[in-house]
Amino acid sequence: MTVYPELASARTDDFPLGPWRIREGSSLRGGASCNFSDRLLIVPFGNSEVDRIVRAHELAHIRISPHVFVASDSLGVHPRALECAEEYRVNQLLLHLGFDISLLCDGSERTGGARLAEGSQWDEALCFLFAVLGTGAEKPYLAGIRSQQRAWVAPLLAVVKRVRSVMGTTAPETFGSTITTPAGLPDGYLSYTVPMAKVISTAMQAKLPQSSEELRRFRRSLEPGSRKPPTGAFAPLVLAERSESYVLQRRKVHRRTTSSVTGPVLRYPSRLLTQSEPKAFARKQRSIGGVIVIDQSGSMDISTDQLDRLLEAAPDSLILGYSHRPGDMGATPNAWVLANAAGVVATPPAGNVGNGVDGPALEWAIRLRRPGERLIWVSDGQVTDANDHPCNTLTLSCASLVRQHNIFLVRGLDQVESAFRGKQFPLENFGRVGRALAQRG
Amino acid sequence: MSEIEIGQCWLDLADVLAGGVKRVLLYGPPGTGKTYAGLRLAVSGTAERLVCTEDLTSGEITGTWMPTGTGRWEWREGPAIRAWHQNDVGGRLVIDEVDRASGDALSTLLAVTDSQDSARWRNPETSAWVRPGPEFSVVMTTNVEQLEYLPRALRDRFPVAIRIDRPHPSALMSLSEDLRLPALASSLAEESRRFSLRQFYAFDVLRSSMGTERAAGLVFGADAKSGVLDALTIGALR
Repeated sequence: MTVYPELASARTDDFPLGPWRIREGSSLRGGASCNFSDRLLIVPFGNSEVDRIVRAHELAHIRISPHVFVASDSLGVHPRALECAEEYRVNQLLLHLGFDISLLCDGSERTGGARLAEGSQWDEALCFLFAVLGTGAEKPYLAGIRSQQRAWVAPLLAVVKRVRSVMGTTAPETFGSTITTPAGLPDGYLSYTVPMAKVISTAMQAKLPQSSEELRRFRRSLEPGSRKPPTGAFAPLVLAERSESYVLQRRKVHRRTTSSVTGPVLRYPSRLLTQSEPKAFARKQRSIGGVIVIDQSGSMDISTDQLDRLLEAAPDSLILGYSHRPGDMGATPNAWVLANAAGVVATPPAGNVGNGVDGPALEWAIRLRRPGERLIWVSDGQVTDANDHPCNTLTLSCASLVRQHNIFLVRGLDQVESAFRGKQFPLENFGRVGRALAQRG
Repeated sequence: MSEIEIGQCWLDLADVLAGGVKRVLLYGPPGTGKTYAGLRLAVSGTAERLVCTEDLTSGEITGTWMPTGTGRWEWREGPAIRAWHQNDVGGRLVIDEVDRASGDALSTLLAVTDSQDSARWRNPETSAWVRPGPEFSVVMTTNVEQLEYLPRALRDRFPVAIRIDRPHPSALMSLSEDLRLPALASSLAEESRRFSLRQFYAFDVLRSSMGTERAAGLVFGADAKSGVLDALTIGALR
């Protein structure tokens, strides 16, 4: 049996017509693929109806999927969610064109679902559901999940309902459109796959609902414009890289020595002749410094003047600012070095509204702290998850870091110098973290 | 790729003919419209056509004596000589499948496709020497991909060789809209998966009378039928 990718490749975008190479694959999951850059199609060559529908599935990718690399983080979605949402769109296209997608099933799905559920891999279980949704593999896959994690089924179906509403009753000509958008992606992909992937990404990050009330909130959070659901986890720390808007410039050299009437090094011998009590010796000056972690969420922005004053007070400091954009998938940096030994930031970056990375920011600072150095956390004591929901577990984990690593808490930048000198501020000033610390004594 | 691109090969051919080159060799896969182009592009009158086979004789190229039915014989000019002096200035001669010509026919083809200054032929009826007109041009076609397989002397007479790898857009326009891009794309596939423009024409005609399934089976073959129809169904999405 031969497959004719060229006949299916008449797209509206700039993907040029040309010959494809074909290699034999299989109808087992993962046994078929299409590679746009190499123009290589791997499909089963068998005569069975399953082989035929697998070939059709790959041809549909050739017809409607993006032929360029898609940067998922710039779209604000998880790459796996994007991949599986695209599988769903392709299968829906086949269904509309009259193909029997119930044949898309290789018998491994029930076991696969059970294994994912058994391993508590909620995010992969959710994504993969969309790779099989509407096909013959959907029911056995869900049965496999149900056998291990019955509670997962309701939230899974809630996401399915929401994703299906994105596709609605759209005609295949619309959701399969390959007209190029200004973003450089096919219109159908940008208008359907990406929004579906956003819903899936949101649900992937969400903390699994444990009660009917939480399930209701979870459902609401999937609606367009709703606040994203609690994730119960911090976002990964994404440090800003140097760019036009983020530049570390050379900072004022801090004098590390001072003149003295006594000392081991005669640094200023001329003073012996000119001064009655000559300060001709050099003595090392103890300078204040350590690691300062600044929560820049909400309105806690920093001005250049504030930063200069901070560096005057604590010149030997490594200063990190952080604030996470709620729901961001890694496209926006959520932490930035404001000053280190090499320099100071030209313009302190503004925060991204949320906290989201309190724990990872503290851990980063703990790793870089030199022995004996003080670590100061400028914070209001509120700790939130990746979607900026307050989270008790994460609060406790931060409180634990504070206690374990003797982190000094301050409310504002003006208190940093005092903290370096050893002053401790009352815990009641530090919201949930302060309360957690107080409760544990 | 919504618009059917004309293709570089066709642009090259148009430029070469417009530039006044009178001997052009077109080669490449069958069914892309090489002959069609030879017969129509930059032709003022009616082009003459020769299809080479192993049995082609010199007489079928330059002319032959034919009985008139009254016990007499008369000389009938062959297509090459007709093209030499068409409208007194010369016209177009299209020589198809030149790689299949026999040795005898090849010698005659060498003579008639020679340059205007060198080519001449004596009319056996009048004994007059005949030369090609100034506008005489030849388009020769072959499906051979390796041009070194053509006789060197013949190849030398055709300074420009253009590989035609896709159908001409005007030829595609004769197809129903849904088949134009697939037909174009198919011409670019590797040989074992390539369908000619003629097959698409046949499919286009037959499907309206006997249905898509049967027409596909008859034109593309039973083995290819489902693969072609699936690809066409998916490719037809607009």
